[in-house]
Amino acid sequence: MGVPMVRITLNRVYAVRDHWSLSASGTFNEGVHLVSGDVGSGKSTLALMMAELLPLSGGDIEREEITTSMLSLQFPELHVTALSVAEECASWGVTPDEILDAVGLTGKKEASPLSLSRGELKRLHLACVLAKDYDLLLLDEPFSSLDCEEKVKLCARIGQKSQGICVIFTHEQNILPRVNRIWEIVDGTLVDCGIPPDAFQHWRHVPPVIERLTALGSPPDNISRDDFLEAICRIQG
Amino acid sequence: MITAEFLCYRNLAIDALTIKPGITTIIGANGSGKTTFLKLCAGIAIPDSGTLMIDDALPRETEIGWVNEFPDRNILFVNVFDEIASPLRFRRTPCDEIDSNVRACAEAMGITHLLKRAVRELSGGEKVLVSLAAALVHHPKVLVLDEYDSHLDAHSLAKIEQGIRTSGADYVIRCTQQMDTAIHSDHLLFFDSGRITLAGTPDLVFPFLKGTAYFPVLWGCRWSESP
Repeated sequence: MGVPMVRITLNRVYAVRDHWSLSASGTFNEGVHLVSGDVGSGKSTLALMMAELLPLSGGDIEREEITTSMLSLQFPELHVTALSVAEECASWGVTPDEILDAVGLTGKKEASPLSLSRGELKRLHLACVLAKDYDLLLLDEPFSSLDCEEKVKLCARIGQKSQGICVIFTHEQNILPRVNRIWEIVDGTLVDCGIPPDAFQHWRHVPPVIERLTALGSPPDNISRDDFLEAICRIQG
Repeated sequence: MITAEFLCYRNLAIDALTIKPGITTIIGANGSGKTTFLKLCAGIAIPDSGTLMIDDALPRETEIGWVNEFPDRNILFVNVFDEIASPLRFRRTPCDEIDSNVRACAEAMGITHLLKRAVRELSGGEKVLVSLAAALVHHPKVLVLDEYDSHLDAHSLAKIEQGIRTSGADYVIRCTQQMDTAIHSDHLLFFDSGRITLAGTPDLVFPFLKGTAYFPVLWGCRWSESP
């Protein structure tokens, strides 16, 4: 008997608000997915709908073998529920000492989470989220507030995930993990661009670095920084 | 010139610094002192010791436009038009002038369609655009931008970059984690643990960052581009 596959399918899902609308259809299989789109295009709205935190204006969402799910919001302070960093870690069911050492916050157990800098709070929040495996993990702008080194570490952490669906909603263009599929929101509709590198041909929000490397005759295989550096190496011989 | 001498505030210590007019971009790790320095430039914080002067005046005596990465922390009014108009209303600018300036600024930022919206209904990126419009509408001498670009798409960033360059501000001081943005600067400062360890044009600074996450990937392509 095969291992049941997790899957989430959007069937003509849509959201309507005044003069704005979003429609989405498509299947998200196991792996890492990237959703790009302009400011206000509906990325966060789509994430909330996929997390069942926002009622659909129409359509339906099928969830197969998804028993655990998590949405990481764009602004980490919206997740804070405890008065101290240690209590905040405990509220996520993780051991404070292990997490705090890993994110460079050793010695801040008694500090208020809201007294941390925005980068520190984002690191703490993401470490708590990524400490567990979820069948469906939705990350809304996970790279915002992180410095370049932390973005690289986050990409590595996402790349280590071996199970479940991970959907990244982001504007980030330069430091990204390898992904299995690329999506984008264009004119109020979710578009399936496909699998990298073929997806680059249809991707309207393709990062400038990919456009440039393609123009130089060395398109990257995927969208990670390592893929970019490898493509540059090919050019330089 | 913006000059700092023996400037100390919290973890930040700068013995001597001169910033010429133009776009100055600050890069570095979280906690390295970037935002602290921006707050001093904007007059939001006052040095523990030392001085920071903008053309021989204190920051609090200078017209400043300030954008926080988390604009919710600075937004005062319920709807977008009122928020952008607020710096002009505080100055008792005539109503017809306010109206035309707000609309021109919103047009430049590409957010005319948002003017009647409630701020709380906007996305994170839209709120940044509104904050930027509010910072620019009174034509500040100094524009201070704290990681304003971390919630924006490439299209919006390109539009904003144009808006910043044509804003008329003598000094734009910004921090970013987008090295493709940092490339397009007149001056670059690299902060590490509260100190400025590299300063100069992008051409001078970036080669020292090769091999780090701060080295722009596209930088390597510049040398292999066909003539």
